[in-house]
Amino acid sequence: MIEAKNLTKIFKDKKRGEVRAVDDVSFTCKKGEVFGLLGPNGAGKTTTLRLLSTAIRPTSGTALIEGADIVKEPQKVRHVTGFLSGNTGLYGRLTAREMVEYFGKLYGMNKGQIVQRTNQIFDMLDMNEFADSRNEKLSTGMKQKVSIARSVLHDPPVMIFDEPTSGLDVMSSRTIVQFIRQCRDDNKCLIFSTHIMSEAMRLCDRIAIIHKGKIYFEGTVDEALEQTAYDNLEDAFIEIVGV
Amino acid sequence: MKFRNIRTIYGKEMKDTLRDRRTLIFMLIVPIVAIPLLIMFTSSLMVGAVTKAQEERATVVFEGFDNLPADLQDTFKAAPLLTVKTENDYADTIDLIDQLKAGGFDALVSVPDYFGSAIESESPTSIDIFYDQAELKSEFAVDKIRDILEPYEDKIVAARLQERQMSVEIISPFEVNRQNVASAQKVAGRELGGILPYLIIIMCFMGAMYPAIDLAAGEKERGTLETLLVSPASRGEFVIGKYLVVLTTGIVAALLSMVSLTFSLNYMVNNLLGDIASELLRLQFNLETVTLIILIILPLAGIFASVLLSVSIFARSFKEAQSYITALNMLVILPAFVSLLPGIEIDYKMALIPVINVSLIIKNAISGSVEWNYVGVAFISTLVLALLALLFCKKWFERESVIFRM
Ligand SMILES: Nc1ncnc2c1ncn2[C@@H]1O[C@H](COP(=O)(O)OP(=O)(O)OP(=O)(O)O)[C@@H](O)[C@H]1O
Ligand SMILES: [Mg+2]
Repeated sequence: MIEAKNLTKIFKDKKRGEVRAVDDVSFTCKKGEVFGLLGPNGAGKTTTLRLLSTAIRPTSGTALIEGADIVKEPQKVRHVTGFLSGNTGLYGRLTAREMVEYFGKLYGMNKGQIVQRTNQIFDMLDMNEFADSRNEKLSTGMKQKVSIARSVLHDPPVMIFDEPTSGLDVMSSRTIVQFIRQCRDDNKCLIFSTHIMSEAMRLCDRIAIIHKGKIYFEGTVDEALEQTAYDNLEDAFIEIVGV
Repeated sequence: MKFRNIRTIYGKEMKDTLRDRRTLIFMLIVPIVAIPLLIMFTSSLMVGAVTKAQEERATVVFEGFDNLPADLQDTFKAAPLLTVKTENDYADTIDLIDQLKAGGFDALVSVPDYFGSAIESESPTSIDIFYDQAELKSEFAVDKIRDILEPYEDKIVAARLQERQMSVEIISPFEVNRQNVASAQKVAGRELGGILPYLIIIMCFMGAMYPAIDLAAGEKERGTLETLLVSPASRGEFVIGKYLVVLTTGIVAALLSMVSLTFSLNYMVNNLLGDIASELLRLQFNLETVTLIILIILPLAGIFASVLLSVSIFARSFKEAQSYITALNMLVILPAFVSLLPGIEIDYKMALIPVINVSLIIKNAISGSVEWNYVGVAFISTLVLALLALLFCKKWFERESVIFRM
């Protein structure tokens, strides 16, 4: 479970002065739920997810991930979250197996656990064929699978995905979409960001609409449509953020 | 900080780095292959040029060849490595000097008209040799001419003394003998000692350069940095892990360069100077020297690793890091160059200046004149600087504005 409580992040930018990238953001995402963070470019999606994953620290406010506070107990948070972003890269000169093993060790797993989990995930994602060739030689779709394998290796109850399908073709995004559904079936709590409305409509149980760092709406897709009397999320979105 | 995590990160980064061609080139190929090849190539070129100039026939033009005594004329004509010509072989006798300058022949010998009679009458006279000092072949031509004239002069002196019933010893009352007391190590240190620290320090930097770029800026560019940041390993742990990898490659490159330079410089000296002279110029290392060099290069490699990593993580991309570090390169090359300058000796002030101090200490170590007070100052100041740099590097990696620089 994720509970964001008045999360705020202010960047000090040389040219623009203070940028309130995330401004008093609160929302809740429960177990077994796919939660979409929806917003245009520069809305603050990446920043919100970086805050949740403890890559950066909030200026004020906090969030609880499985009860652990991202400010006070970042170590605990890291053990219970898996993080994946659209531009996550791989270590080109390592193989998928070596890379996954590396992160397994960093997450404090022992050899036996790593081997067992690796086999299980490689079977599930159908990766055995290329698990031992160097990452730089893989296709984009294969690379995406390696990234997924890395992010779920330690079997985290909470998954954080930042625009996971950006830049992927239909086949590769399908892998991601299937994986997101799998996570819901496994009763994980999953938050992902996107600016593609149709993707949100298809996948999300609930959404939050974020614009200029502020949350404008939190609820189900149906509620969003009801509230605005539009039948598609694009129009509803524009009315909600009022541009 | 957990040792287990540092070891995991070190192991992974080392494996990754050793699979990187650019790192291998600078860490292994340049020291082991390129440096010896370069030195052997230049030395064999030099040897080749010298031998060629020495063994080739030199063309010497005589003005007034007929003024020489007949037996001397015959000696010149019979000399195996000289081709004797006279001014009559040249149409324009006025500009013989110009022709010499233009490389038309190798030396011009001018014999005055009265040379023969002056010798007969025992009055002073002279022979002028014109040559081009910029040309190796011309210099050797002078040697060849003098090799004929000087014995001839000795013969005349001996004859004149005999006529007066005096012994030859009378004109050389005593001899001056130069006896070198410096050890071969010291001579070698002075003559060759400069190039060694210069190259060792530069290779230490170059060896660490690519890993540092790849481990920080490269990680940003690939988009792997963020996944590392959200893993349970702390920033301190991955800074130390990465730092140790960069440190390792720098030290390996420096040590390999030291070994290969020693062998190739000794080879060069042997080749250029022959056995006897090379005895005097042989670079020799005893355990003490090697230990001292390793000890003093360690903290310097530490400074390099911290600075390189800090610059690299600040850059947004591989390319950006590369351009910063190219500029940084100058800051290493110039002070390291000091060891190549003659006459610069270490003192307490020098011992405090980073890079310069290490370069001078290594130079002194090689020539066997270690002054421990300076070694101590240099070592401690470099070590303190290395620790400060590492501390800075760690703090630097913890800054969001550096890691997520826009
Ligand atoms: N490290 C940073 N330093 C300064 N400003 C930043 C930084 N990161 C983000 N910002 C600013 O914060 C705002 C929100 O950025 P963010 O990347 O979170 O948006 P986003 O919703 O992910 O956009 P996109 O769809 O383009 O990925 C932007 O104005 C951005 O310029
Ligand atoms: Mg983004």
